Amino acid sequence: MNKFLNKPLQFKIISVCVFVNVLIFTVNLLLMLGMNAMAVEMEKVYEGNRALNEIAEAISDVQGSMTDYLSSKTSDSLEEYFISAQRLQDRAGNLDNRVTDHALTRMERNIRNMTGDYLDVVSRTIESKRGRNVEKYRKDYEEATQLYGFLNEYLRSLNQELFVSNSESYSIMARAFRRFEFISFIVMTLVMIGNVIIVTSFVRAMMLPLKKLSDSANEVAAGDFDVTLPEVSYQDEIGIVNNAFSKMLVSIKQYIQRLTESMEKERDMQEKELMMESHLKDAQLKYLRAQINPHFLFNTLNAGAQLAMMEGADRTYEYVQTVADFFRYNIKNQQTEVRIRDEVTLVDNYIQILNVRFSGDIGYEKQVDERLLDMVMPAMILQPIVENAVNHGIREMGSEGVITLRVYREDDNVCIGIGDNGKGISQENIRKILSGNWHNDENSYDNNGIGMDNVISRLRLFSGNEDVIDIKSAGQGKGAEVLIRIPFSRAAQ
Amino acid sequence: MNAINGEKSIEKSIRRQYILLVVTLIFVMVTLILGTLLFRFYMSNFKTKQVSNEYDKYYVMITDNYKSDFWQAIYRGALEAAREEGIFVELLGQNISGEYSCEELMRIAIASRVDGIIVYANESDEMTELINEATEKEIPVVTLYNDNTRSSRMSFVGVGSYNIGREYGKQINNIVREKRRDSIESDRIGQRSPLKIAVLVNADAADTGQNIIISAIQDCLRQVNITDSEYNISTVTIDNTNAFSVEESIRDIFLMENVPDVILCLNELDTVCAYQAVVDFNKVGEVNILGYYDSDAIVNAVDRGVLYATVSIDTRQLGEYSVKALNDYYEYGNTSQYYSADITLISQDNVADFLNKEEGDE
Repeated sequence: MNKFLNKPLQFKIISVCVFVNVLIFTVNLLLMLGMNAMAVEMEKVYEGNRALNEIAEAISDVQGSMTDYLSSKTSDSLEEYFISAQRLQDRAGNLDNRVTDHALTRMERNIRNMTGDYLDVVSRTIESKRGRNVEKYRKDYEEATQLYGFLNEYLRSLNQELFVSNSESYSIMARAFRRFEFISFIVMTLVMIGNVIIVTSFVRAMMLPLKKLSDSANEVAAGDFDVTLPEVSYQDEIGIVNNAFSKMLVSIKQYIQRLTESMEKERDMQEKELMMESHLKDAQLKYLRAQINPHFLFNTLNAGAQLAMMEGADRTYEYVQTVADFFRYNIKNQQTEVRIRDEVTLVDNYIQILNVRFSGDIGYEKQVDERLLDMVMPAMILQPIVENAVNHGIREMGSEGVITLRVYREDDNVCIGIGDNGKGISQENIRKILSGNWHNDENSYDNNGIGMDNVISRLRLFSGNEDVIDIKSAGQGKGAEVLIRIPFSRAAQ
Repeated sequence: MNAINGEKSIEKSIRRQYILLVVTLIFVMVTLILGTLLFRFYMSNFKTKQVSNEYDKYYVMITDNYKSDFWQAIYRGALEAAREEGIFVELLGQNISGEYSCEELMRIAIASRVDGIIVYANESDEMTELINEATEKEIPVVTLYNDNTRSSRMSFVGVGSYNIGREYGKQINNIVREKRRDSIESDRIGQRSPLKIAVLVNADAADTGQNIIISAIQDCLRQVNITDSEYNISTVTIDNTNAFSVEESIRDIFLMENVPDVILCLNELDTVCAYQAVVDFNKVGEVNILGYYDSDAIVNAVDRGVLYATVSIDTRQLGEYSVKALNDYYEYGNTSQYYSADITLISQDNVADFLNKEEGDE
């Protein structure tokens, strides 16, 4: 059995087909043999009658030729007599010579013996005729004729009896034939049903692993790699495919694991790079800080402010104070996370400074949800964005440029939008900026040193979300807006 | 967990399919084999039906009317006795269509080269010739019931006609005495007429048996002192030359002026016809019939009083003796010339016993 199951699928299917066909053939063969046997029996039924008729014919030939010979003495009739006598003897010799309970066999025996007697008498008659013994051949002729009459009568009776008995056996036969037909029908039907069941069960048994395999394949396609396939015990094509699929699953799992590992490594490296960048900035900042003694700077600025106040120059005093605040925030702020309020204040200060520098050219609009101002966000984010908006957006617009700062809540996000009505950004540049491929001259004079990519990277690290920052621009000359979405849950920490 | 279950269930269902496959296979095979065996059984049944006993010897019994109960009873006795010896006895004529006389049947038997002939013979020359011819051809012939004394027949099996005559004589004696008594009672002694006894004789019978019976009756009556004037025996010839003449002849008797007082029948057919005629002509009690043989109808008629008495012949014994005679011939080369079977008289006195016995037999 196992040897058979290990054969190729093709071989198995062909084998089953051949087997089923052989079975049907066998049934048909048996039916045919049965029919044949029946037909032979049926043929035999009236054989006895035929044989008797032949004998009767032969006897009548003998009698006829004898009469002919006696009346005409032609050599033709003599020859015919010899032929028919021989034939009669042969045929009568075939008759049953037994004495049994059956009347038919006894009659056959009697006919056989009487035929012998009759032939003796006839030959005696012929002899007498040849010897021209008139009296004797007449007497013998009479005797022969009487015997002929008896024989005919006997034959007729036997024929009739035989016919009755044969008819009986024929009807028995016919009944048996009916029964045989019925049996054959039953056998054929049963074998047919059996064949259907055999083929069905075999095909099902063969196809079950395949079905299981396709189900598993579907599961795998849906992303579930934790599928285990049953070990198929035999090695036909299905078994091979099954095992190959199992192996493939294992290697896919391994491959995915490797891929995950390498991705993790890459992210680590990215993080490291970012850290290095931030360290560099840190170093630059520390360098700057080292160059300027903050206390000296603040003292100087404070002295300037007091001077301006004493001279009654209130605006100068305010300006110097704002500059002092701005730089104080930059210098003192060592933390990475601050409240939104601080960042907004920084932007206010920055715009104020710029307006002094550029003689109040920049319009500044603020829409702030006060409830959100105590949320946290990374430090030094808004001011660089505003700086960019001013530098690249509205610098050349003079007094028409407007910067818009909005802080509001949208769904589960704290949204901070910095917009301008400047010259806008092309989609290509937006893409470049967001993917970190935008490189400006970082050391340009009017820059506090923090680039957009730094801002974006830090925002993404903070929120753990790539979509934390978005830039929108309706096109050339239609302004731009940078939108920061910090998840509420993160911002509330 | 799910996967393991799936694995188990799939293995289970595969196994189930294979079990189903094997079971179906066995089922189909069994169906095929059963079908074949059933067919074989029918066929062999059909073929073996014709096997039967085979016998060493073949005797034939020839009678004038194979259909009659009498001959059939004898035949049964003969066949039974013969079968024990491995011999078959055929009642010739049974299987041949057409009516044959005893002589024709003799010819057929001789031509058929049988091993022995039991024949209901008569005293005709033709019969004698035929018996002699058979003996020449080394076929032993036994005459049954009727003899052919002049022939070379080996043996005669019959009933003692003289004994039958005596039995009849006794019955006639009783009838005569009854009549005497009646006459005395009615005071008409002087006028009493002799008892008319009619013996029915077959036309073809140069039959010695009948004559012996008649003389035996006469002897018997003479011995019991009944004078010749008291009775008057006459023979009435019954024409049995063609099939229905017997019945007509017997009816003719009743149409005669002098209807006999006693009708003596010497064979079964005559008895039945006479009995029926007595009933039809409303002569029961007037005409006393002495019957012959003990078929059911005849015994019942005795029981009802329509028949005065009848003679029962041991038919089985007749058959047995016939076969025994032929067997003796083959065994010893010779046998007794004469076998006589027993007879019993059945009259009103013992008919009840007889009926009981028959019922018992059945």
